[in-house]
Amino acid sequence: MSMFGILASGNPLEHVVQHPFWSERGVTILSNHIVMQILAAILLIVILRRATFWVSTDDLLGDLTPRGGRNFVETICAFLRDHVARPNLGDHTDRFIPYLWTVFFFILFCNVLGLVPLDPLTRLVLPFGVGGTATGNIWTTGTLAVCTLAMVVGSGLRENGTAYLRHFFQGPLFIAPLIAVLELIGLAAKTFALAFRLFANMITGHILLAVLLSLIGMAGASSLGLGLAVAVPIVLVSAVFNLLELFVALLQAFVFTFLTAVFIGQAVQIHHGNHSEDAAPEAGATHR
Amino acid sequence: MFGTWEFSPVQPRMRIARKRCAAGRPGMVGLIMLAPVRAAVAADHGSGTPNLFGGDVGNAIWTFVIFLVVLWVLGKLVWPYVLSALQKREEFIRGSLEHAKADREQAEQHLRECAASLEKARDEASAIVDEGRRDAEILRRKIEGQARQEAEAMLDRARREIGAARDTAVKDLYALTAQLSTEVAARVIRAELDEKAHERLIEESIEELSRLSHTQQN
Repeated sequence: MSMFGILASGNPLEHVVQHPFWSERGVTILSNHIVMQILAAILLIVILRRATFWVSTDDLLGDLTPRGGRNFVETICAFLRDHVARPNLGDHTDRFIPYLWTVFFFILFCNVLGLVPLDPLTRLVLPFGVGGTATGNIWTTGTLAVCTLAMVVGSGLRENGTAYLRHFFQGPLFIAPLIAVLELIGLAAKTFALAFRLFANMITGHILLAVLLSLIGMAGASSLGLGLAVAVPIVLVSAVFNLLELFVALLQAFVFTFLTAVFIGQAVQIHHGNHSEDAAPEAGATHR
Repeated sequence: MFGTWEFSPVQPRMRIARKRCAAGRPGMVGLIMLAPVRAAVAADHGSGTPNLFGGDVGNAIWTFVIFLVVLWVLGKLVWPYVLSALQKREEFIRGSLEHAKADREQAEQHLRECAASLEKARDEASAIVDEGRRDAEILRRKIEGQARQEAEAMLDRARREIGAARDTAVKDLYALTAQLSTEVAARVIRAELDEKAHERLIEESIEELSRLSHTQQN
């Protein structure tokens, strides 16, 4: 978050929304959010590759004992695998876990990179600033949610074949089509909620921070003393709020991953669990 | 600052967004429900006011491509290592636990066998000691009996030899005594006696001496 930028711009939304660098016929070719996504992807690949790469040796105990970055990544991966994926996916866990891990880390990196004040830093060397939260864009989160929807439907069809389609048509014959419509609406609602939850959670914190910081500019406009008096508590509160943002960044990545696991689990195990629309009370309780 | 925002109708870009994003009516319903929020925060695009829902299909394509690339690259370069490490560790831990359980059961079995062997050895040792004690007692009695018999036999033999020696000595003494008596008597009496009377006299003397010796012994 660029404090100076916010103070200068006067609009707290200015540094939250997307800034296209290059558009053709109304379609964004390159923007700060896209650059941040690319940066997140590169960092994700480089960091995870460096952290997790290991070569099998004769020393089995040495191989199985993670150190440093591998320890960090494997702890998160093991938690997601054992406590998020396995309860929902059962025997299918290891087939879907790469997707869940990717979703978690990609969203996490986008979220956390949004907290880094890259915008003012890049302005030092570039004519324009590059920064922002890629997941604070409904098109980005919507695309991720659609990927999850495709994963859910694709996995359901691949695992259960026509049984997956038949499970949409439940109940007596005259009610079944109506139930199917409701099921489809439910599926779309899940996807929409997934996208909007992440987007809204990412953007609200940033808006609040921007509003708080813009108050300094407003106070400073009337007098320098008032501006300084307001700046001190607001900067302190903003620092604390940034820590909360860090927590939310982690939490929302987890919630997205958790719900993805739940939805895939419902699709691949249609004969096992009950098919409820809200099978994730824990996640519902944790997200704000 | 906030005064510059104004309630505006749904802007063209958002209409596109609604058409493309909403996979069906639910998405559209959601957008309609959010209309007040959107209207409050998203102002006229033309005036340069930031649009909270800014973005278009370009973002979606980029996100889709980047996410797929990340998924593919991580799926090739990272997740196999992580997954194999987790699986190996899981198998190792399970194997170790099973091994430990088997070892424990085997150790308990060995302990039971050792205890049984120890008990058996103790019984055997006790039996061996008892048997040795019994054998020693038997041997002791046997040796004692033999010694007693031998001692008695030696005593009897000594007694017999003593008796025989005494009888021989007495006989010799009698013969010598008779001879001396005869010579003394012949010399004293000086009388000629016939052979028969002579022998009868000797036998009478011997009997007399024998009777006297028995009387003395008793």
